[in-house]
Amino acid sequence: MTAADWVTAVLMPVGALFSLIGIIGLVRFPTLLSRLHAATKPDTVGVILILAGAAFQLPDIRSAAPLALVALFQFVSVPTLGQTLGRVAYSRGMAAPEHLVVDELADALKDAEGAEPEQPETG
Amino acid sequence: MTSMIVRAPLHWLAAQLPTVLWLTTMWVLLWGDLAIGTIIAGAVVASLCYAAARLPVIPVRLRFRPLRVLRLASAIGLDLLTSSVRVAFHVLWRPRQVRGAIVEVPMRTDSDFLLAMTSSALSLVTGSVVIELNRSEGVVYVHGLPIESERAVARLRRQARTTEELFAHAFGTSEDIAKFEHEAEGTDRKEER
Amino acid sequence: MTILDYAYTATFVMLTLGVAFTLFRLVRGPSVLDRIICLNVISVLLVSFVAIEVALRGDVTYLGLMVTIALLGFVGPLIASRFAERRAHDRG
Repeated sequence: MTAADWVTAVLMPVGALFSLIGIIGLVRFPTLLSRLHAATKPDTVGVILILAGAAFQLPDIRSAAPLALVALFQFVSVPTLGQTLGRVAYSRGMAAPEHLVVDELADALKDAEGAEPEQPETG
Repeated sequence: MTSMIVRAPLHWLAAQLPTVLWLTTMWVLLWGDLAIGTIIAGAVVASLCYAAARLPVIPVRLRFRPLRVLRLASAIGLDLLTSSVRVAFHVLWRPRQVRGAIVEVPMRTDSDFLLAMTSSALSLVTGSVVIELNRSEGVVYVHGLPIESERAVARLRRQARTTEELFAHAFGTSEDIAKFEHEAEGTDRKEER
Repeated sequence: MTILDYAYTATFVMLTLGVAFTLFRLVRGPSVLDRIICLNVISVLLVSFVAIEVALRGDVTYLGLMVTIALLGFVGPLIASRFAERRAHDRG
């Protein structure tokens, strides 16, 4: 066991654990937006830890460059997908107001329609 | 497109340079060797793709401050980790009762690039996903996850604005920062709501 | 078996469980958007599986495969969600 092996042996299971917990959230969270959170963030951390773990097993730093590229794609894709899905979910009325503490977007939309601005639904 | 080249060849070249450079870098990374032929081939392919796709020429007005970028990167990494742990905690501990909030965050920058980068980063960290972006008023609507009270709402808004500030200082031109500071004075009282 | 082998096994088992759970959500839905999220998650898991393989063999052959899966796993769900958006607009 070299030092690199130890690093891999720690990073990979921890990363997989992050992914797994995120996916359990994907199964158990009640609303679409919360599932979006669970699916994206811990999963990103997980895959990046796993990629870092794999990078330590490669012969040289140059061959690890595509791993960095994959991590970069992940950084780009997560916000893009999250934003698109969040917008679609909201416009379809799937934001589940009973699980929201505040919904300032709804207030803003109401104001924009020129209706009487009501009290924000807190509690 | 040809007329554009005739009109301002240098400007056109300068505007497409960052994209071509970036595409070439990816090409070299994918080939995995830094030979001169690979770089030239990559540049040629990138320029051809750029010309064929007729991508819009985006004027990039950014500055790069290495120290600030380093600080931003570490802040984002730390934020990503902590927000993951927080989401993970709520996954394991009573996920049925977790509640979120959609919070309106007025942005103080006016640069398209800064706004895009900030909203991307927000979707990645601080337990938030940007769900709507009102460009004309410079307002983003952020959905945050483990939020139980008004205090957490205020904290989410503050975090979003901190992220924006880090981005403005890391990549903004000096005009951007000046405008940012000016706007910040005007909107700070809003934060008190 | 060395500790590294145990680590690979543990990673593999957890990722497999992850795929199983994701498939559960994929089948159950309830909405198209859930299924789109699941597709992206599965592609990320596939990348992780290939990463184990790469680490296990110390072999760089599969790195291109990883990049491809990562790209497809991003572009596919993105297009699907754009379509979902358009349909929502048509209905509303």
